[in-house]
Amino acid sequence: MGGVVVIGVGNRMMGDDAAGPAVIDRLAGRLAPGVRLVESVGDATHLLDSWGGAQQAIVVDAVVAGGAPGTVHRVDGTEGFPSAWRSASTHLIGVAEAIDLGRAVDMLPEQLVVYGIEIESVAPGVELRPEVEGAVGLVAGRIVEELS
Amino acid sequence: MTNAREISVEYLARVEGEGSMHVKVVDDRIEHVDFSIFEPPRFFEAFLRGRPHTDAPDITARICGICPIAYQMSSVHAMEGAFGVTVGGALRELRRLIYCGEWIESHALHVYLLHAPDFLGYESGIHMAADHRDVVEQGLRLKKAGNAVVTLLGGREIHPINVRVGGFYRVPTKKELEALVPELEWSRDAAVATIKFVSGFTFPEAEMDFEYVSVSHPDEYPFNEGRIVSSKGLDIDVSEFNRYFLEEHVERSNALHSRVRERGAYHVGPLARYNLNFEKLTPLAQKTAWEVGLGETCNNPFKSIIVRSVETLYAVEEALRIIDAYDEPAEPFVAYDVREGEGHGATEAPRGMLYHRYRVSEDGRIADAQIVPPTAQNQLTIESDLRYVLERHLDLPDEELSWVLEQSIRNYDPCISCATHFLDLTIERA
Repeated sequence: MGGVVVIGVGNRMMGDDAAGPAVIDRLAGRLAPGVRLVESVGDATHLLDSWGGAQQAIVVDAVVAGGAPGTVHRVDGTEGFPSAWRSASTHLIGVAEAIDLGRAVDMLPEQLVVYGIEIESVAPGVELRPEVEGAVGLVAGRIVEELS
Repeated sequence: MTNAREISVEYLARVEGEGSMHVKVVDDRIEHVDFSIFEPPRFFEAFLRGRPHTDAPDITARICGICPIAYQMSSVHAMEGAFGVTVGGALRELRRLIYCGEWIESHALHVYLLHAPDFLGYESGIHMAADHRDVVEQGLRLKKAGNAVVTLLGGREIHPINVRVGGFYRVPTKKELEALVPELEWSRDAAVATIKFVSGFTFPEAEMDFEYVSVSHPDEYPFNEGRIVSSKGLDIDVSEFNRYFLEEHVERSNALHSRVRERGAYHVGPLARYNLNFEKLTPLAQKTAWEVGLGETCNNPFKSIIVRSVETLYAVEEALRIIDAYDEPAEPFVAYDVREGEGHGATEAPRGMLYHRYRVSEDGRIADAQIVPPTAQNQLTIESDLRYVLERHLDLPDEELSWVLEQSIRNYDPCISCATHFLDLTIERA
C-alpha cells in the first residue's frame, strides 16, 4: 500500500479517551490527499491492519503516565511503547501490544511515531476536559507540520 | 494460629470503578471471594434517554469495541419489536451474515491471542508469537476474514454505521459478497485446523453444574432471534426477561449481578449455546466436534476454547451459505411507522446473550433503556467458578495460583478479558 496513515485511538463515549479520535477530526482536510485517517478503539489486530503496508504511521492515544492531564509526549514507536505509559483504551489489547506483536510478525511500518496525550482517567462521557482539548489542537498542529 | 492469606486482584484502572477480585484464605479455608469485573452500561442507558430511537444502534455499538454488532442487533430488534416491524428474507440473512463476521473476529482474537497462550505456557500472544509465529499469523488472518465481512456490511469494522432499525442503510451487491468467498473458504479449513489444534491442549479437570441460558431458534444456531431457554427448563419469550431474571446491586461495588429469580447464578456464552443448540450446528462442525472428543455437551469451562473454535467453523460455514443463496433485496430496509411502545431484543454476542429493552414515546424518542450485557450476567458464575478452582488449587504457590485464576476468568471471555493480562495481584499473609 505504501503511504502515510494517521490513527486516532480511543472511544468517543469514554470522556478523555476520545482524545485520539478528536485529533483525527481536527486533521480532516488539512493533510495532503492520500494520507489516510483512521479511527480505532485500539484493538491490536485492527492497528496492525490499519498500518499494514504503510511506510509511515502516526498513532495518537490517550495515556496515563503520571503527568498533568493535557501533557503531550512524542516517541519513536519502533522502539516500543514506553513501559511507564498505560494506554487508556478500555477493552482491548492495545497500542503497546500492537507494537510488540507487529515486531514479532514483521508488521511494523518503517516509521512509527506515537503521540501520547496524558489524561487522568477514563470514565463514560462525551466531553473532553479543557486541558485535553487543548492538547488535541496542539497534536493536530504538530502532525500537520510533521507531514507537510 | 491463624494463617490468613489474601489475594487481591485489581485491573489497572482503565475505567474508573471497574472491577477487582479479592480472595481471603484463612487456615486453608476460603473465607470469601469477591469478584466484580464489569460495570454495567448505566451511563449509556441514561445518555440514550430523550434521544431519537434511531440513535440506539450507533450509540450502543460504542459500548464495546469487540462486539459492536451485538449491541446494534439487540437494539434494532428491540426497536422493531416496539414498532411491530418484521425484518425477513435477504435482510434477515444479512443480519446473520454480519453476526458471523463478528463471531469470527471475536473468537479468533480470544482463541489465538488471549486464551491459547494460557495453555501453551506463555504470558501473552506476543510472547507466544516468538515460538509459534505461524499459529499467531493464522489467528490474525482468520480474524481479518471476519473483519472483512463486518466492514463490507457494517460500513466500518469498528463502530459500524450501516445498520439501522428496519435493516441497513445500504445493502451489498452479490458481487461484493462473492469477493469474500475465497478468504472464507480458506477460513473454513483454518477453523477445522484450529479445533484440532486447541483440542490437543491439556485441560484442568472441571465439571460444572451451571444453568446454561441462551437464545434458541427451532431452525438455526442462535444469533438474532428465538426464545430464551435454559438447561433447567426455562423457555420464555424475550419480552419476559425481567420476569425471570433479576439484576441485583452488589453492596461493595457499582456492579450488578444477574440471577435467575429464585434459582441464582447462570451462564451465558459459547458453552451455553453449544449445550442447548448442538444439533443446529452444521454437519461439519458437529463431525469435527465429535472427532476431537467434545461430544454434544461440555461442562468444563476450560474447554470453552474448543467450543469457541467449533462456533468459529459454524460462523464461517453459515457465512458461505448466506453468500451463496443471496439475492439483493429491492429495498435496504423495511419502512415502519413510529408509535409509542416497548420492545425487547436478545441476541447472541460472541461472549453470550445480550438483552436490550427500550420504551419509546409517541415522538419516536427513547423514554427508557435497559442494557444487560453478557459479562454482567456471568459475574456470579465466574465468582462461583473461581471459588471452585481455588478450593482445588490452594496448595499452589501464589504465582501459579494467580495464573490458574486468570486462566479461569479468561474461560468466560469477559468484556475485559484482555485486561486480565494486566492483573495487579497482591497477596498478603498474616
